[in-house]
Amino acid sequence: MENELQSLEAEARKGLQELTDAAHLEPFRVRFLGRKGAFSTIMKQLGSVPAEERPRVGQLANSIKADIERLFEEKKAMLSAGQGLRGVTTPDLSLPGRWPVTGRLHPISQVMEETCQIFEGMGFSVAEGPDVELDYYNFEALNIPAHHPARDMHDTFYVSDSLLLRTHTSPMQARIMESRQPPLRVIAPGKVYRCDSDITHTPMFHQVEGFLVDKKVSFADLKGVLTVFTRKMFGKELALRFRPSFFPFTEPSAEVDIACVICGGEGCRVCKKTGWLEILGSGMIDPEVFRMVGYDPQQYSGFAFGLGVERIAMLKYGIDDIRLFYENDQRFLSQF
Amino acid sequence: MKLTLDWLQSYVDLRGLTPEKLADHLTMLGLEVDSVSPLFPELAGLRTGLVIAADKHPSADKLTVCKVQIGEQVHQIVCGAPNVRQGLAVVVALPGTLLPGDLKIGKSKIRGVESGGMICSERELGLSNSHDGIMELPESTEHGRSFLEAMGLNDTMIEVDLTPNRPDCASVIGIAREVAGIVRQPLSLPVAGATIDTVSNDFAVEIKRPDLCPRYAARLVRNVTIAPSPWWLRKRLLSIGLRPINNVVDITNFVMMEYGQPLHAFDFDTLAQKKIVVRCPAENEMTFTTLDGSERQLEAETMMICDGDKPVAVAGVMGGLNSEVTDKTTTVLLESACFNPVSVRRTARRLGLSSEASYRFERGVDPEGTIDALNRAVQLMCELAGGEAPDDGVDCFPGRKEPATLTLDVARCSLLIGVTLSAAEIASLLNSIGLSASVTSSNSIEVVPPAFRVDIEREADLVEEVARLYGYDNIPVSLPKVELSYPEQDSQRQRRLALARRFAGSGFTEAINYSFIAEKHADMLTLGADDPRRNVVRLLNPISEDQGVMRTTLLPGLLENLRRNLNFQQTSAKLFEIGKVFMPREGAAQPQENMRLAGVVCGNRHGAAAALHYKEERVDIFDVKGCVQFILSALDISGADSDATFTPPAAGCNEPFTEEGYSLDISVASCKIGTLGKLRDEVLRNFAIKQQVYYFDLDFAALCEAPRDVRKFSALPVYPAVERDIALVVPEEVAAGELLAAVRRHPDKLIERCELFDVFRGEKIPAGSKSVALSITYRSSSKTLTEKNVEKSHEKILRLLTEQFGGTIRHE
Repeated sequence: MENELQSLEAEARKGLQELTDAAHLEPFRVRFLGRKGAFSTIMKQLGSVPAEERPRVGQLANSIKADIERLFEEKKAMLSAGQGLRGVTTPDLSLPGRWPVTGRLHPISQVMEETCQIFEGMGFSVAEGPDVELDYYNFEALNIPAHHPARDMHDTFYVSDSLLLRTHTSPMQARIMESRQPPLRVIAPGKVYRCDSDITHTPMFHQVEGFLVDKKVSFADLKGVLTVFTRKMFGKELALRFRPSFFPFTEPSAEVDIACVICGGEGCRVCKKTGWLEILGSGMIDPEVFRMVGYDPQQYSGFAFGLGVERIAMLKYGIDDIRLFYENDQRFLSQF
Repeated sequence: MKLTLDWLQSYVDLRGLTPEKLADHLTMLGLEVDSVSPLFPELAGLRTGLVIAADKHPSADKLTVCKVQIGEQVHQIVCGAPNVRQGLAVVVALPGTLLPGDLKIGKSKIRGVESGGMICSERELGLSNSHDGIMELPESTEHGRSFLEAMGLNDTMIEVDLTPNRPDCASVIGIAREVAGIVRQPLSLPVAGATIDTVSNDFAVEIKRPDLCPRYAARLVRNVTIAPSPWWLRKRLLSIGLRPINNVVDITNFVMMEYGQPLHAFDFDTLAQKKIVVRCPAENEMTFTTLDGSERQLEAETMMICDGDKPVAVAGVMGGLNSEVTDKTTTVLLESACFNPVSVRRTARRLGLSSEASYRFERGVDPEGTIDALNRAVQLMCELAGGEAPDDGVDCFPGRKEPATLTLDVARCSLLIGVTLSAAEIASLLNSIGLSASVTSSNSIEVVPPAFRVDIEREADLVEEVARLYGYDNIPVSLPKVELSYPEQDSQRQRRLALARRFAGSGFTEAINYSFIAEKHADMLTLGADDPRRNVVRLLNPISEDQGVMRTTLLPGLLENLRRNLNFQQTSAKLFEIGKVFMPREGAAQPQENMRLAGVVCGNRHGAAAALHYKEERVDIFDVKGCVQFILSALDISGADSDATFTPPAAGCNEPFTEEGYSLDISVASCKIGTLGKLRDEVLRNFAIKQQVYYFDLDFAALCEAPRDVRKFSALPVYPAVERDIALVVPEEVAAGELLAAVRRHPDKLIERCELFDVFRGEKIPAGSKSVALSITYRSSSKTLTEKNVEKSHEKILRLLTEQFGGTIRHE
């Protein structure tokens, strides 16, 4: 049987050597290594080998078969690798992948959410209010009585004498303070309206109002919270500038500029060569506003700010025409 | 507020300060500088010239052929102005010069005579509307120079965006005062601390409404000669965009810009009884002609300046035609007054007349600055219009107020700003801009704000001044020290966001549309006459009809978006919007604002995804139905799969914009919360959309309130399932969904799942019938099912279906 094994090994090795076509792999496997192949057949003779010889011959048979199997696998791998290169049966992986069909959130929603998340991370809660607002909350409760020149700062859409489309999200300050007691940390995102329409104004836009009321809140704290916000929103150490301004419901009031994200402060068309871009209005809540909601201004202080969402989105993405946000062109929306 | 550097310089020494640095200082003081730019850049190319010869044009009577000397060179220029003459100093635009209005000057031949340039009129230079002739420069003007330089116009214009609280800075002197504070230079004023008599020998003043007019002062100037103002004065006005008129009017405008005090000049000879009365109009005086020639309707409360008989000016807003200064005026009564801001604002608004004067009165003029400005103007009228002024005048001051003393708590001030300042430091800051502050204790400062700072009335106003003067940039940055608390969030808002994200993940793009739509959108959607969505909240002052009413449905916005996208060659679109609609409410101050969720789809189901992998498939109604099912399941709404969720509307009760037979009502917990369907062709035509469009529209608030399932784990099955298919031939009228629902409702506990996998019509199926194929999964939680167990359950189901729906089992 030993002789037969050795001649079978020689025959198999020769067969493998001559094997150059993948199509002949399977017949080879069937002939030698299959369930009814030459090796299986020869192994059946093991019973006729003398008992004392059996372990040695068995071992020999197994090792020869294992060698042939290994050589066969090597041959198979070699031949199929060659086939891959010729692209005969494997896929062309240069083809594009099968994308899942997905849409996008509106860039305004994205920026508004990002804004809310930054403030939520600092412990602010989020509240929303009505778009069609009473004159009282939009103006009077914010220390802007009828016939105050500050009303000129708001081109207001009116529904009736006492009803209007809110011109800012600040009415939420009065609404929330009226119904809750300090300490308060709240942001109020939403739509606001002004009758103005050109390349930099749309009659509807979005703001995020924020305010914090507690004992011993300072202007320095306002600077701190807004500094954290801009760093997180724009993702870098942007210089920030607080500039005195005027809002009837805050005092002191500040407009906040960031170093121009386009030119880095060198001066360009976007920042009108100033190196600065205005992104929000803010200030310490005016004692008059506290008095109107029944808070004691001697005991409490607080700050408030109002961010323009479109403005931030435009700066973040380099969008040059605000009207694009409301045309809902998929070619625009799919960019964000 | 516009001013020029040269003008500002006449009150405070600005040497060593660049315009940019100055602008930066102003901005950081809260006087935001909008722009710093050269004055009249469009006139930079013009030259001065001297007409050395002026001869008649050989073939045109009205034209003159001039020889104009410009430096070394002499140019021949044909001129049509009547006032051109030898010896006149003129402004010349040589060939190549670009004039305002993009007018390019070239060489030309005028009626056969060469003309090398143009001699300009003031109108051509954009300096005035006067087209009487060419601009006549002072005789002494040297020829050959730049026009701007020769005329002192090479100045820098600064435009400040004033906030409403700083009317004191609506004047060049006001701004100079702030600048003087920073550069620590003295302020030099042409007139300061002036007083006049309270009674005049020549005229009288009576204030009937001291509440509307706290102060009224006036002086007479006799023997004035009305004429154009001298160049320096015209230059000042021109440089800030005001049109020079004549010396008297120009002086009132100039002093208003200089001091911030509006003045008005009356022709004294037109005033009956030599008297000024400040009062409201009588019943027979309700119409009045202002000096712009318009007839104005007055109100009972309109504050008027009257003479002994009649109104002669709308106080603080505009003078009357009947008392206007004209070329023939010889005696001028000059008014310098202080009016109630609210009254002026109301009148200006109502008359639609906003003037430089009303702008200042509305915000509050300095009640102590009245006489300085009056005397300054009188002085100028004597100098420039040859007038003579008696020393006396009238100063009625019923509203005189003692200067208020404010107390500033030093500790509180430090706390609010967030930086520790001593009383002395604070007082020094306040004193630098003339707020006389004195330290009364280590924690207390007394401040007497000057009258021109009408905005400083409270301690908070002083804190602002301290912060501003200390410099916002110098205030440190800190974070609030607050007690930790969990920010409670609005659950509806969070659901909205979660849903929007899942929507975007499933192929829809979010749209945001204006909250206002056109009223005609209701017609375009073919809404019925009594459709509640026609009951709208209307804007009183919309920008246009297209944005005239608050939306009651999200569909018009989304359909307009579809049109736009299709117009730009995008063949497919899937858009959704979550937003408010607005419904008027009887008996409530504010309308009802409901959050809705709507979507529209058209074109290829797979959108712009690679065509290589996805076959082109058109969307159909099942895309929107699936979408709503997805929403309900994403929100864990109970019974979302039940047959009660989607029901065809009763005949004729479908949404008017949907195609009959292609719409479904959506209900949750037996409450209708929305609809879906296919839009009718007529509606699509109205929106100029040339494709099939499917939509869904849901009440989002109702969705959020609907009962929802609590997510709960159920153990994974241990024993194998057995699947059986049924093909049932049923009459066409039977809804396949009902077969499915009947199986799902069946109480047999072994039924784990039932799905509908085919609906087939055609060969081997009798006409008027269809074959519905269901696949039922049986499983027990306690054992492996035998053929016999399954057969028993399956038989029951087959019996149920054949009996209830009249179907027959179809055997292959």
